Amino acid sequence: MKKLKLTDIAANENTPLTELNIDELIPLPPPYDRAGDLPGFRQLTEDQRQRLVCNLDGVVSYAGLPKPENEAEKKKYIEQFLGGLKKLLDKENNWTFLQPLILSLDYCAQCQTCNDACPVYLASGRNDLYRPTYRSEIFRRLIDKYGKTGGKLRARLTGKDIRLNWATITRLYELSYRCNLCRRCAQACPMGVDNALITRELRKLFSQELGWAPKELHEKGTVLQLEVGSPTGLNPRVAIDNLEFLDEEFSEATGIDVKTVWDKQGADVLLIHSAGDIISFPESPISFTILCNAAGINWTLSSEIGGYDGVNYGLFYDDVQLARVAIRHAEIARKLGVKKIVMGECGHQHKAFITVADRVLTGDLNIPRESVMTFLENLVFSGKIEFDPSKNDFPVTLHDPCNVVRNLGIVEPQRRILRYLCPQFREMTPSGVDNYCCGGGGGLSVMSDVNFTDWKVNVSGRMKFKQVLEAFADVPGPEVNKYVCAPCLNCKLQFRDIFEHYGAKERSGIICGGLAELIVNAMVDIKTPFIKWFDD
Amino acid sequence: MAQMELAGNTYEVDENGFMQETSRWTEDVAKAYAKLEKVNELTEEHWKALNYLRTYYLANGICPMIRRLIKETGYNLSKLYQLFPKGPAQSACKWAGVPKPTGCV
Repeated sequence: MKKLKLTDIAANENTPLTELNIDELIPLPPPYDRAGDLPGFRQLTEDQRQRLVCNLDGVVSYAGLPKPENEAEKKKYIEQFLGGLKKLLDKENNWTFLQPLILSLDYCAQCQTCNDACPVYLASGRNDLYRPTYRSEIFRRLIDKYGKTGGKLRARLTGKDIRLNWATITRLYELSYRCNLCRRCAQACPMGVDNALITRELRKLFSQELGWAPKELHEKGTVLQLEVGSPTGLNPRVAIDNLEFLDEEFSEATGIDVKTVWDKQGADVLLIHSAGDIISFPESPISFTILCNAAGINWTLSSEIGGYDGVNYGLFYDDVQLARVAIRHAEIARKLGVKKIVMGECGHQHKAFITVADRVLTGDLNIPRESVMTFLENLVFSGKIEFDPSKNDFPVTLHDPCNVVRNLGIVEPQRRILRYLCPQFREMTPSGVDNYCCGGGGGLSVMSDVNFTDWKVNVSGRMKFKQVLEAFADVPGPEVNKYVCAPCLNCKLQFRDIFEHYGAKERSGIICGGLAELIVNAMVDIKTPFIKWFDD
Repeated sequence: MAQMELAGNTYEVDENGFMQETSRWTEDVAKAYAKLEKVNELTEEHWKALNYLRTYYLANGICPMIRRLIKETGYNLSKLYQLFPKGPAQSACKWAGVPKPTGCV
């Protein structure tokens, strides 16, 4: 593997800085240890290499990046980048994140401790390109050079000169989507420098100033959510229709009356799921319907545009969209007159809505917001539902969604539930606030343009897959059914992609699901097993 | 935008080969997609699923949940994978000429 220098970022604009080679990644445990047995890595076609900007690592996450015909057009984008860079340092234009950004730019001691905390860097076999400090230090030097008085001269004198050209900005764009924003690096830093924040601010610059953002996050993400109701394209009518269909299906399957509540004025609890759960993991919203009804909770869903999808991709790339979505959610709750909002099993929804949006949710928009973890814990231990933990007598491990656990410190409620209801619960190593990201964090789990999925299942998800296999090392074969509890939709999607890529269900008997499903599976009143291990 | 030739015509597609102009779809397009995945003949079973997917998409602006597809066709998931090698989302939706499902799905 080639060593990289910071200045390489500006060199040879049409040549990738590095090419990924599966043999150089950290090895996986058997039976996934022989590269020859694995599906491998989709390379770009010659046509794609010609058509697309592909100058980072042989992976393209966004086919929409422009490919300018001439130098004047490139210059226009570079000027926009510079304008955005200055805005990031300006209180008027970046009141949201100015202070933590400045602290993270100013206080890096170059000790490189963070590198060993980064799952992407470790999984890559320590490829310089994926050091948390590689991206940050380049950006820091650009800010020092172009954003501060006398910066250009100082850059030359100190030898810290990074050229700003087309290669630099396009590579920085792609590189800002090689980070899960999991903040494991920030936790490891002795100075408290937050490289994930620097990455996120870089994404923001590209989105707000150049209009460069992954289509799954912007055009088909927040834009679609605000217009139609959800990045899935689910409009209110179809959302209700789908849940009515599921209510019927599960009433039949469970023998109990499953009835989802919609738009109940003055309910105690407004529950906001991720709409992707309705479509891809319907057992999840149905579990909540079953549990809330069984515990006698006065609850409701909302069918307003945006009210039945709690995702907020703005958290990943854009302050304006972040605020728009968060305010929409709060307005819906205010209109319904609910006492509190409970966030579904979705990590970034937690971070966006509980903490980051706090500064825009003022006055009567500041409605109490509770995590699904404490909500479910109270429900399980309320004594209102009877459980039989022996129904969950299979190996279960818990994935800690970064945004819920490391970033918000909600660690124990979900564990108290699992210790009570799952006799074979075991932790991964490391776990809790030291967990590894699933590899889909930072919005990556919904991105699948060109060959990006291959990068996610091979590189960013590699440490997690290794951890999962190690947690089940005592029962490795497919004859024992095993459950990875991942109480976050984005994490579940990433696990689904990883497990499908490696054939983990067929080869190791591993499936992935949420927390509420395990609770329902242990209910005495549910006569047939709720968790289905096979599709038929 | 990437382009792809299917059954003698050129179509705009995304980088994963999904048609971007749903209205230009024809049955020959579906057959051409199928051939690329080594399915040389589309049977009535294929058409039942494809027609349902397409009709549902045009009426609702979104692909149906897999559960609905299963209920509507009477095929289980392994049967769907037999008919459509890469599964309902990656093969069936593509052959039916509707965009790739996005957004946490």
